Amino acid sequence: MAGVDAALLLALQAILSGILVGGVYGVLSIGLSLAFGVMRIVNFAHGELVMYGMYAGVIASKNFGVDPLLILPLSFVAMALIGSVQYQVVFRRFVGQATLQQLLAAIGCALVFQMIAQMIFGADTRTATSVFSGQYVVFGPFFFSMSQIVAFAIAVIATVLVEALLRTTTWGKAVRAVADDMETAELVGVNASYINIGAFALSAGLAGLAGTVLVTYFPTYPSVGFSLMPIIIIATTIGGLGSIGGTFLGGICCGIIQQVTAMLWNSALQDVPLYILLMLFIAFRPTGFFGLRSE
Amino acid sequence: MEAAVSDQAAGNATSPATNAASAHRRAFAYGLIAFALVACLPLLPVNNYILAATVRALIFISLGQAWNVVAGIGGLLSLGHGVFLGLGCYTTGILFNKYGIPPWFGVWGGVVLSLLVALVMGSMTLRMRGVFFALATVAASLAMVQISRHFVDLTGGADGLALKFFGNSLWAAQSRTPAPFLYAALAFVTAYYWITRWILNSKFGLEMQAVRDDEVAAAAAGVAVFRTKMLGLLVSAAMTALAAGLYMQFYMAIDPEAAFGLSQAIQLQLPALIGGLGTAWGPIIGGAIMIFLSEVTNWGGTKVGISGLDIFVYGLMLLAVVLYAPKGVVGTLLRNTVKGSGR
Repeated sequence: MAGVDAALLLALQAILSGILVGGVYGVLSIGLSLAFGVMRIVNFAHGELVMYGMYAGVIASKNFGVDPLLILPLSFVAMALIGSVQYQVVFRRFVGQATLQQLLAAIGCALVFQMIAQMIFGADTRTATSVFSGQYVVFGPFFFSMSQIVAFAIAVIATVLVEALLRTTTWGKAVRAVADDMETAELVGVNASYINIGAFALSAGLAGLAGTVLVTYFPTYPSVGFSLMPIIIIATTIGGLGSIGGTFLGGICCGIIQQVTAMLWNSALQDVPLYILLMLFIAFRPTGFFGLRSE
Repeated sequence: MEAAVSDQAAGNATSPATNAASAHRRAFAYGLIAFALVACLPLLPVNNYILAATVRALIFISLGQAWNVVAGIGGLLSLGHGVFLGLGCYTTGILFNKYGIPPWFGVWGGVVLSLLVALVMGSMTLRMRGVFFALATVAASLAMVQISRHFVDLTGGADGLALKFFGNSLWAAQSRTPAPFLYAALAFVTAYYWITRWILNSKFGLEMQAVRDDEVAAAAAGVAVFRTKMLGLLVSAAMTALAAGLYMQFYMAIDPEAAFGLSQAIQLQLPALIGGLGTAWGPIIGGAIMIFLSEVTNWGGTKVGISGLDIFVYGLMLLAVVLYAPKGVVGTLLRNTVKGSGR
């Protein structure tokens, strides 16, 4: 009887930690989903923008002694700027068509970003500390890392803010109009190229913000973007490319599946069920739970 | 743009235009010269470093030719060809190390395994267009990274798998010097060149190109779209796994990142992308350029003390090709000859 209880508790602990981790996966992914929804661009370098956000946190904490959580607005703005440059130089010509060329250009960006990071910061693994680092919360039979709880809270707030931005403001309405039908949106007076660059900057900024949140409990290294990219892609596909709320829920699904696999089966294979899930979704429901219609 | 591509494909098939025919004769003559030069390389007083770099170029040309079949001719954005490379390498290596089966036979195990995986992957993802197929192939290769790391007994885990060394041995297909590999790799490149030429001219190849250019129109014209794509993927997977046998014998070792990692997948794509997608010459020219540039930058990088500079250069090359020369070297050259002849 006690054994069953212990297994049940472990499973519950796994699910709860999965939700915490998954919320951050969600906020890592909504930028990618947004860029796809509005411009049909799959930014394979999204993970690299996250990586720069993580390094921003490391520099703040190690070089300036500032808590990474305090520089969130800064890293949002910085990555939004990098993102707009990336959009202007590379992606502008691919708007509306997720082609082989577009994916390859994005991978090219990812490699270049990655090597720039390696030249500046070196290949070593780096960590950042926030005021919550090393603190744990015991809640009945469960325990959680304080950093993860805070990160989850920030992820939820960011997602709600983005949804609110898209649903209530005039700018958000214009973005959704462009996402639905770019030509018609232009006919009614929306400047689509203006909207696109704004949406892409928002997408990149979210990547930076998510990275800085993530680095409070997850170490960074130059190729961390490539390691995170599968989870980002899976969360986005499960939730539905183009849907912000759906992508956030997709992230939580990924977190739960990953943690349950790691705790109950094998932590080395924690991502394999996710890959299988991705294949199943692509085969049977490529639009995810809430996504746009397939291209 | 697509019309230009199919023009060029038609030119490859049966072109009434004499300028195109003479361009091909010229290309053939250059090819013969290049072949002879490479074949005579071991007889010349060059060091093993240059020989090894040439073998590397030839191996990546063969792998690029294999990718070109599915991506260039078929237009399917596979970012996961590392799966077939890895399966080929690991199967050849494991069969040799554990069971003493020489790579001459072992490599066919890798081919069969790759075909099976391609069949499963294809049947799940080929009905999807574009992005989703690409994402699925990424997922497949990343899953393989984790799986090959996990089964340590079989694959050697993260440290990788090294072939047992037997010195110069025909039975084990091993050699202390790169020269034999040079001839083997040259044979691969030549054979794959002819296979590509044959595919481009065959009904199957024309159907693939039709599906690439306009899936709906191809279906309306009676092309079995799914079957054509699947066949293209299978041919490409088998070609990759076969060349992987050579890769394994030459490098003598494989590890999860080198087999299934994204950087490796990009190295498989660059030859065709630089040279020209969907052309028989593209991967050959592109592979030579890629290895030359990566050798030069690595040499320069060690001088300055920066490692991994070649990856940076790969990224820049990828961007440069996609943004400024989407048809690659061959495509750009062909366009110029057509322009020059006033067509």
